[in-house]
Amino acid sequence: MLDATCPNCGAPIRFRSNDLPVKVCDYCRTSVLRTGGNLQAIGKIAEVPDDVSPLQLGVRGRDGAHSFELIGRVRWRYADGAWNEWLALFDDGSTGWVGESTGRYMMLRPVPSSGLAPDVLSFVKSGRAIRIGGVLTVGAIEYSVNDAREVTCVASEGELPFNAPLGLKTMSIDLMTPDGGCASIQRDQDGEVDAYAGRYVSLGDMAASNLRAFEGWPMPAYRA
Amino acid sequence: MQPAAPVPQPVSTVPAPPPSTVRALSCPNCGGIVNVRAQGLTVSVLCEHCGSTLDATRPDLQVIARANEALKTPQIPLGTRGTLGGRVWEVVGYMERTDEEIVWAEYLLFNPYEGYAFLVDDGRRFSLGIMLDRLPTMGWGNRLTLDDQGYSGFGTPYPVHVTFVVGEFYWRVAVGETVQETDYVRPGTMLSCEESETERTWTRLDLLDWGVAEKAFGIPARRREYSHPAPHEPSPYKRQLGEAMIIGIVALFTLMVISTFAGGEQQIGQTTTDAVLDGPEKTVVIRGLDLPSARSRVVVDADAGAIDNAWVDLDYSLTDEKTQDSVDTYGLAEHYSGSDSDGSWTEGDPRPEVSLSSIPGGKYDLIVTLSAHRWNGGSSSSSFSMPTGFAGSSIFGQDGGQTIPVTVTVKRGGVFGGNILLAFLLIAIWPLIVLFKHFGFEKRRMAPISGSGGSDDDDSGGDDD
Repeated sequence: MLDATCPNCGAPIRFRSNDLPVKVCDYCRTSVLRTGGNLQAIGKIAEVPDDVSPLQLGVRGRDGAHSFELIGRVRWRYADGAWNEWLALFDDGSTGWVGESTGRYMMLRPVPSSGLAPDVLSFVKSGRAIRIGGVLTVGAIEYSVNDAREVTCVASEGELPFNAPLGLKTMSIDLMTPDGGCASIQRDQDGEVDAYAGRYVSLGDMAASNLRAFEGWPMPAYRA
Repeated sequence: MQPAAPVPQPVSTVPAPPPSTVRALSCPNCGGIVNVRAQGLTVSVLCEHCGSTLDATRPDLQVIARANEALKTPQIPLGTRGTLGGRVWEVVGYMERTDEEIVWAEYLLFNPYEGYAFLVDDGRRFSLGIMLDRLPTMGWGNRLTLDDQGYSGFGTPYPVHVTFVVGEFYWRVAVGETVQETDYVRPGTMLSCEESETERTWTRLDLLDWGVAEKAFGIPARRREYSHPAPHEPSPYKRQLGEAMIIGIVALFTLMVISTFAGGEQQIGQTTTDAVLDGPEKTVVIRGLDLPSARSRVVVDADAGAIDNAWVDLDYSLTDEKTQDSVDTYGLAEHYSGSDSDGSWTEGDPRPEVSLSSIPGGKYDLIVTLSAHRWNGGSSSSSFSMPTGFAGSSIFGQDGGQTIPVTVTVKRGGVFGGNILLAFLLIAIWPLIVLFKHFGFEKRRMAPISGSGGSDDDDSGGDDD
C-alpha cells in the first residue's frame, strides 16, 4: 500500500496494491502512473457515465475461499452496447476481474500466457476474424466462442493494471463452456494478448455486499 | 482541503437518497418524455409516443430511425413492476414477434440486481424466460440435456421476425430483425436457441401457472382453455391420468380380492339319488338350506357323471320354508357319444350348474324333480345301449330299470363372472376417458410440427369471452 498525493490536484490518493501501476484520481480524474516511488500524471480520464450497475468501487465479495474488494473499473463500448470490467483485489494480494455485461457477471482470473496454445496465440495476435461458435482452448479447457468484437474504452476509475484512457482499443473475444465456465481473450493495440478464465456468477454467488442502493428496489434476498 | 468553518452537521451523517434507476429524457423527434429505466445497459429505445428508434448509447439519444406512427399499447404498460418467484421485475421493453404463422408478445423485464428476463405471452399463457449462462449438451435423436433434464426437439429451426417494438432493449432492436430459432421442449419448460450472424443465445422458458403473471402485473386473468396448447405445455390430464390409473389399479385389485375370497362358494346341502332311466319322475328334497345374507347367490350343481346316451331333466324349486315363496329353475344333465364316418364323438354336459342370484335370506328347501331318459340315436357301440325291448317299458320295477346315480349339491356365495367383467369395464371407463383426453391434448400440442399445422383457426381461439 502506498499513500500519496495526486501530482495534478494534490488530493490524497492511495495505491492499495503494489502490483497496480495506475490510479485514476477520484477528485480530478487524472490518471496517475507509479514507477517505483515516482508518481506521474499521464492524462485526464473521462468520468464514467452513470449506469444502473449495482456494483461500485468498494463492493466486497467472495470467490471460493478468497474475499475481494472492487478497486477499479474500466468501461468498454462496442458498436452495439457497453459493459464494465471491475478489478477485484483479493485478500491474498492477487487480482481478478468481474465482468459485467447485460446484467450478468463473470468472475475471471488471469490465465498465464502458457495457458494459450501457440496456434491460438498466433491466431489471436494475427487479428483475423474468429468464427462464432468455434472452439478455442484456454488453460486446457475447451470453450466455444460467444462473440468477438473490437471494443473501445469509454472511461475508467480507481486502481488499474494499465492506463485506460478514452479511445483505448482492444479486441475482445468472449468464450463459454457448457457448464457455466467462461473466458475472455483480449488483444490490445500493441498486439499483446491476455487471457482470463472463470465462471458466470450471480451477485448471490459472489455474496456481494456494499452494493449500490436504488430508489424503490429491494436489495437481493441473499443479503437477508 | 476545505477551510475550517463551523459545520452544523457532518456531511457523512446525511446520506444522499439512493438514486432512481429511471432517467426521464426527451425524445429528440417528438419531444415526448422517454423514461430510460436501465441506463448504461440499454442500447435501443423506442419512443412510446412516436415510435422513433433512439440510440441510448449516446447521451443525446440520437435518432436512428424516425417514426410518427400510431403505436400499439402493450397489455402490461412499460414501467409496471411485478413479483415473479420472489423477484421484482420491471417491464422495460415490449415486442411482438412472429414465425409467420402466429404472433406472440415478449416483455423485456429488468431488475438492477438480477439483470434481464423475458415474459413471453402467447395469448393464452405466460412463460418466464431467463437467458442461459451455460450450454445444453446434445444427445441422441435431436435431444438435449440441461441440468440433468432431457428436452426433445420441437420441429425444425424456423425464422422469427420482429413485427413491433416499443420501450428499451440491451441490443439494437428493429422491426424486421430476424433470427433463426430452434426449440426443445419438456413438459413445463422450453429451451429456445436463437441464432443471428453474430450471436447464438439460449433461453430457458418456464411456463407459469395460470393467472400468476396476470396477478403479478395487474392484468385480468386469462381463461383456462387447452384447445391450442403451447409446445412446452404439460398435459393438464397427466395428473388426472395418474390418479385415474392409481384408482383403477386399486379398484381392480379390490375386485380381484373380492372375487377370490367371495368367490369361495360354500356347500350348504347335498343329496344323492338314483334316477331310473325312462322310469317315473322322482322327487327329492334338500331341507334346511340356510342363507344368512340379505341377498345370496345360490348354485345348484347336479352330477350325473355316469350317464351316456341319456339325459336327466332336473326341475329345481327353491322354496322359502316360512313364506313358501319359491324360485324355480331347471337343469339338464346329458351325455351322448357314438361314432360315425368322422370317427367317435361325444356331446353334452353331465354336470350342469345352475345359478340363482339375489335370493333373500332365510331357510330354504330345494325340491328336485328328476326324470331320466334314454336316447336311442347313438350307435350300437354305446356302452349303455340296451336292447330296445327294455326301452320305454314301465312294467319293470325300479330295480329292474337302469339307474343312474345323480348327486345334487347346493352352494351359496360366489360372484358371477359376468359381474366381474362388468365391474372391470366400469373401472376402466374413467382411466380410458382421461387417456383419450391426454392423447388428444398431446396431439394438439405437437400439431404445429406434425404437418398440416391447422393455424387457420388461430384467430377464433382467442375471441372467447
